[in-house]
Amino acid sequence: MQAIRSYTQSVSAIMALVMILSSMWAIPASANIVGTGELLTEQRADIDREALMSMLEREDVKGALASMGVGEQEVRERIQSLTPSELADFKQQLAEAPTGEGVVGIIVLFLLVFIITDMLCATDIFPFINCIR
Amino acid sequence: MHTFRPHSARLLLVALLGVILSGCASQPRWPDAYEKATLTNVPFHPQELYQCGPASLAMMLNAQDVQATPDELVSKVYLPERKGALQVEMVAAARQYGMLVYPLKPELDVVLKEVEAGHPVLVLQNLRFGWWPQWHFAVVIGYDSKKEVLILHSGTEENYRLPASAFMATWDRSERWARVMLPPDQLPATAEPLEFLMAAHDLETTQQTNAAKLAYSTAAKTWPDQPAALLGSGNLAYQQGHWSEAEKYYRAMTEQFPDISAGWNNLAEALSKQGREVESSAMLNKAQETKGLAKKPSAD
Repeated sequence: MQAIRSYTQSVSAIMALVMILSSMWAIPASANIVGTGELLTEQRADIDREALMSMLEREDVKGALASMGVGEQEVRERIQSLTPSELADFKQQLAEAPTGEGVVGIIVLFLLVFIITDMLCATDIFPFINCIR
Repeated sequence: MHTFRPHSARLLLVALLGVILSGCASQPRWPDAYEKATLTNVPFHPQELYQCGPASLAMMLNAQDVQATPDELVSKVYLPERKGALQVEMVAAARQYGMLVYPLKPELDVVLKEVEAGHPVLVLQNLRFGWWPQWHFAVVIGYDSKKEVLILHSGTEENYRLPASAFMATWDRSERWARVMLPPDQLPATAEPLEFLMAAHDLETTQQTNAAKLAYSTAAKTWPDQPAALLGSGNLAYQQGHWSEAEKYYRAMTEQFPDISAGWNNLAEALSKQGREVESSAMLNKAQETKGLAKKPSAD
């Protein structure tokens, strides 16, 4: 017992040293600069967002959203807060759609998903929607 | 019973043919404004093995005066357990030779435009069907609009003339994968700023520092309105510990794009590395300010 105790002291001393060294090591490696990739991802998302916004100008999209009682302004605000990965998802869905048809459906469905998750209180973007709970 | 059999067999055949042929039903129009071209600076390496990956890559590299033989590329792109090369490996290997790999938009028009500009195009085809694929790499080196054919170095065929309809059918099944590979001081004919900068960033992340540097400066010259070109150059210098050079790029970025907080933030870091803490914290404040400004419109 005594022997073990004397060991633990030196072991813990070594462990402490290792931890200090390893944490110091990490400092120069993870510099606080913003990576080029981060900026590019952001810019790409901005462009995608604008593209989605311009789709809202389509009469058929406007009509479909209006018939479901969703206001255009709310949708615009929702698009503003989409993350880059959500936007990439949307682009993927759009790219996989057969050319010409189904575009309205995809836009509306995509936006609707977020409205429904808002209703389930998973997100809280639309102030006019009250959670079911 | 006997009279029904041939009938149902015929029905089955018709149905089967219908399924098979529907895959190649779509025939896009040959784009206008192209006549005829054949690139003569693309050497030919015949190959049947490895889905023609190493040979096609060697042709792409040789066209840019990079010495590489199909044999030496085999180990870089060929995966024995898959009996073939993957797109990822092809792209990664090209970067190892300092080439910028630019993904083309999946349109025939775009491929023709690159060839017209003198850039061979690496394409992936699926010669069979989706559920039983035979992947095949080839290099588009020309076209003839009158006959509506593409000219490829493909497998063991040099200057192989492939009708556009057949090309499109096989290319469609690879989701129209196409790449140009150029030295980073050259621009693809159909280059778009963000796409090109992302390709440059891929060089940065694969430790092709010199190539990445060249690509960022090419981008900065071509599209002065792109902040990422300056940020990229600055970040490369920073990663190499050239603080004052990094500072120069970051400063240029904050002057031209004062609304982007990344420039201010990185400038602060570069100053701090040089022990100029007072200046640094002033820049950090600027970064916070611009961040706040950028967030505001979407917050309410």
